[in-house]
Amino acid sequence: MFLRNRYNYLALLFISYFLFIIINFFSLQILNINDSIEKIDQQTYDVFYLSAPRGEIYDTNKEKLVTSSLEPHLFINLRKINDDNIVQYKQYLKYNFKELKNSDFEDIFNSKELLYLVRNINDLDYLERQSLLELDAFEIFDYPIRQYNYGNIASHIIGYIGRPTLEEFEAYPESIRNGIVGKSGVEKYYEEKLSGIAGQIVFKGKEIIDFTSPLPGEDLYLTIDIKTQRIATESLLEGIKLANENFDSENIIQKGSIVVLDIDSGAVVSMVSLPDFDPNKFVKGISSFDFDQLNRVDAFNNFAIQGLYPPGSVFKLVAYWLAENEGLFPEGIRSRNNTLKCEGKLSFSFNDGSQQVYNDWKENGHGNVDLSSAIQQSCNVYFWDIALKIWRTYEGSSDESILQEYARNLGFGKITEIDLPYEKAGVVPDRKLFEDWTITKPELVRPEGWLGGDLMNLIVGQGAITTTPIQIANAYKTLLTGYSSSPYFDKNKDNIQKVKNYNINDEFIEFLLDDLNLVTNKNGTAYYAFEVLGSKANDIGGKTGTAQNPGGKNSTSWFAGVDSVSNPKYIIVTVVDEGGSGSAVAAPISRRVIQHLTGVDLTPVKFGEITE
Amino acid sequence: MRERKITLLGPEGTNLSIFFLFLVFNFISWFTLFVLSEGIELNLNNILIRQIVFSLISFLVFFLLTYISIENIRQYIDSLFVIITILLAVLLRTTPKAGVRRWFDLGPIDFQPSEFAKVITVLFIANYLTKRKSRYPLLLFLGFTLILILMQPDLGTSIIIGFVIFTMIFVSEVKIRYLVLIALLVVTFFFVFLESGLINENQLNRINDFFSANDDFQQSQSKLLISSGSLFGQYFELNKLEKVFVPVETTDFIFAAYSYNFGFIGVVFILTMWLLFFFRLSQIINISNSDFEKFVITGFVTLLAFQIIVNISTITGLLPLTGLPFPLLSLGGSSMVSTAVIFGITNRIFIENNLVI
Repeated sequence: MFLRNRYNYLALLFISYFLFIIINFFSLQILNINDSIEKIDQQTYDVFYLSAPRGEIYDTNKEKLVTSSLEPHLFINLRKINDDNIVQYKQYLKYNFKELKNSDFEDIFNSKELLYLVRNINDLDYLERQSLLELDAFEIFDYPIRQYNYGNIASHIIGYIGRPTLEEFEAYPESIRNGIVGKSGVEKYYEEKLSGIAGQIVFKGKEIIDFTSPLPGEDLYLTIDIKTQRIATESLLEGIKLANENFDSENIIQKGSIVVLDIDSGAVVSMVSLPDFDPNKFVKGISSFDFDQLNRVDAFNNFAIQGLYPPGSVFKLVAYWLAENEGLFPEGIRSRNNTLKCEGKLSFSFNDGSQQVYNDWKENGHGNVDLSSAIQQSCNVYFWDIALKIWRTYEGSSDESILQEYARNLGFGKITEIDLPYEKAGVVPDRKLFEDWTITKPELVRPEGWLGGDLMNLIVGQGAITTTPIQIANAYKTLLTGYSSSPYFDKNKDNIQKVKNYNINDEFIEFLLDDLNLVTNKNGTAYYAFEVLGSKANDIGGKTGTAQNPGGKNSTSWFAGVDSVSNPKYIIVTVVDEGGSGSAVAAPISRRVIQHLTGVDLTPVKFGEITE
Repeated sequence: MRERKITLLGPEGTNLSIFFLFLVFNFISWFTLFVLSEGIELNLNNILIRQIVFSLISFLVFFLLTYISIENIRQYIDSLFVIITILLAVLLRTTPKAGVRRWFDLGPIDFQPSEFAKVITVLFIANYLTKRKSRYPLLLFLGFTLILILMQPDLGTSIIIGFVIFTMIFVSEVKIRYLVLIALLVVTFFFVFLESGLINENQLNRINDFFSANDDFQQSQSKLLISSGSLFGQYFELNKLEKVFVPVETTDFIFAAYSYNFGFIGVVFILTMWLLFFFRLSQIINISNSDFEKFVITGFVTLLAFQIIVNISTITGLLPLTGLPFPLLSLGGSSMVSTAVIFGITNRIFIENNLVI
């Protein structure tokens, strides 16, 4: 039986308490408002902020790349240090922690901080820690330690941390409380996600009266595979070493990069840039000597997204796509199967009457070439002829820039919007750009402005054009899938938006894969590099590039390709700055990475055949 | 029998005042978290987006419950009680988070079974009181569940469940002297457990001891925060008063932040809305023929009113800190959804009594 009168008593009790609450709030908010304002004004609390552990970083297989552990640290409450006890504390510290130097004591006791972090006491046992606490000014708090488990491997992807500058503080207000901010890589790009919220230690006078624990940052799951990353790094190092040994050059070769993309999603499987650095060095503050030494060799540049190189022959795929899509072949040629005779040079005249001769890299010429063999053997004459036809047909009209439009459509000349900071865009030159440059950078252009020769240079990836390795990888991904999207590292982006490119159909993709396959097989420019794979090489495809540089620099060595033409899973792009021939250096490095990706036993990088 | 049925919201209809108040409380929560969030980003880490997602789940739960008849609930309540008790037992085997075992970690969200234990206990007792003669085995069951929650440790939730059990037995025809006996037993039991529980707490390090030793600081700061809300609240002021230190503003102390932003007027508004809600519920006590429904309503009113009272009392320093959320205002999925269950079942009771407004 339910007793209604008892319910009424209960209701009365609740109503009275609600009224009591309202009266209480009336007294707090209306009657005592002035008292409270005064109290707030007089609050003399000071707050010390305790760093929050940043989020941890994992690779695609949940292997931990970056660890944040909380370890007990000894702090000294400087407000409790006075002239009477300073000597006692100094001696105590000196006696117990022999590694502390006199300069450390100056830092500690002259600090204007409320609390000063003396040292990590994880090595002390429970009793030793307890005995520290017997001294009034000593406090123990957990303090985060960040550790980069793979050192130099993937250092450009992960980035490094350091003290925030004024600008960084404005961009990420929490960073000043944590005392730490991501400076590069995903540490910077995902700063807000990783940083966490600093704890608060509230002081009233010299006593600590309140403590709020820090909230750890969120963990980050990356798309990279640390095993592939390690093998790619090793392969690039080996390749660079071989290039230095075999290549007759005065300059030391030391810079390069590798990009491996998942072809379906655009996820970055691996991204290497050399020289690299160890982010662990930044955790405790890097010495300026070490920093300068690394900085001198550009170790903090991620060349995969910041290195601006002429792409050379790997860029020929843009013209290949244009030729197929627009039916725009060399003069007198109607289809991909028609051939022209390459005699090693191209003589021609422009409307203005100027006579020119362009020499192919292969002196005696490639013989009869069609579109496929022009890619296979990297025949320049074939592509120059296309440029000549564009120029003769469209010079001065809006279609004059058709090649540039195709290039921009593939993402050249703009950033890929990968989730890393400081990405560079490069340039796709055209008449407009040269006109701008005559004013802003007159040293880069001739007074005549944009000429047919510039277009002929552009079509083979030479001249003013600059690209980053990630742009090449992303452009190849678009051409081989028909979809364009931004490459990414954060696994949360697995459903990143893809845009269908209606100028790329399945038939084109088949042709392109077949022709890339010719490059790594007999008569192809990369044949020698992939020969060691035997019949396995039958399924690989790619394009070599040897891009000439101005100003006495060696050529840039390129290779861009896929792990398999029958079932492509990965795009691989390798660049060695000043590495010389793409066939000799970049291709064999890529070959070793592909061996790993396809599960074939690894064989050492071998210096390839010099072509182009 | 009146034939007025509003079929717009769910096939069985919806009581408009219950639904309207449910919406109002959700909107207040969104607005408060909007004020407290620094910018809105479309992901689950943003407190406002998080709460909106929880709210949407709550609406879904509310409407799903209009399909389930009170008779069905009575059929399954014993099994539900067993399930939640097992969940609470399993929970004690998980790794502790911040020194307590209170949540199941389900990726982006945490699931807190004790929030649902509150609701299920109310239904279980109501069913028990209307069906069975003997009341002693009941106490045995409940005692076991309570111990599981105490072992997390979660004193606040245990006290609330204890109080709800007490009031529900109080409105049944039990003799007052038994009630006094139960009360004495429970109080003694609490103290015994507290004593033994304290010994187990050596996993909490020095810092946490320290934290709990200084509750007064947090409460005095939260009082200052409430007070500086004044009549109209600081949300509309240009030169806001700051310099107070209030932890967990979005959960346990959210009412302090609410009072600061919306002032005395805001406080009166939200409390009036809750009183209105309780008056609506009390109508069932007058018109329903089912004792089960009356016990359920008593349990729900007590559960919600007691939570509000305890939450407000702790942030104004009248009671020691317990860590109880404010229903439908504090950030937290389990609390939102379990409160939605209360509103959903209440709604169904109203529909079955042909009350649509």
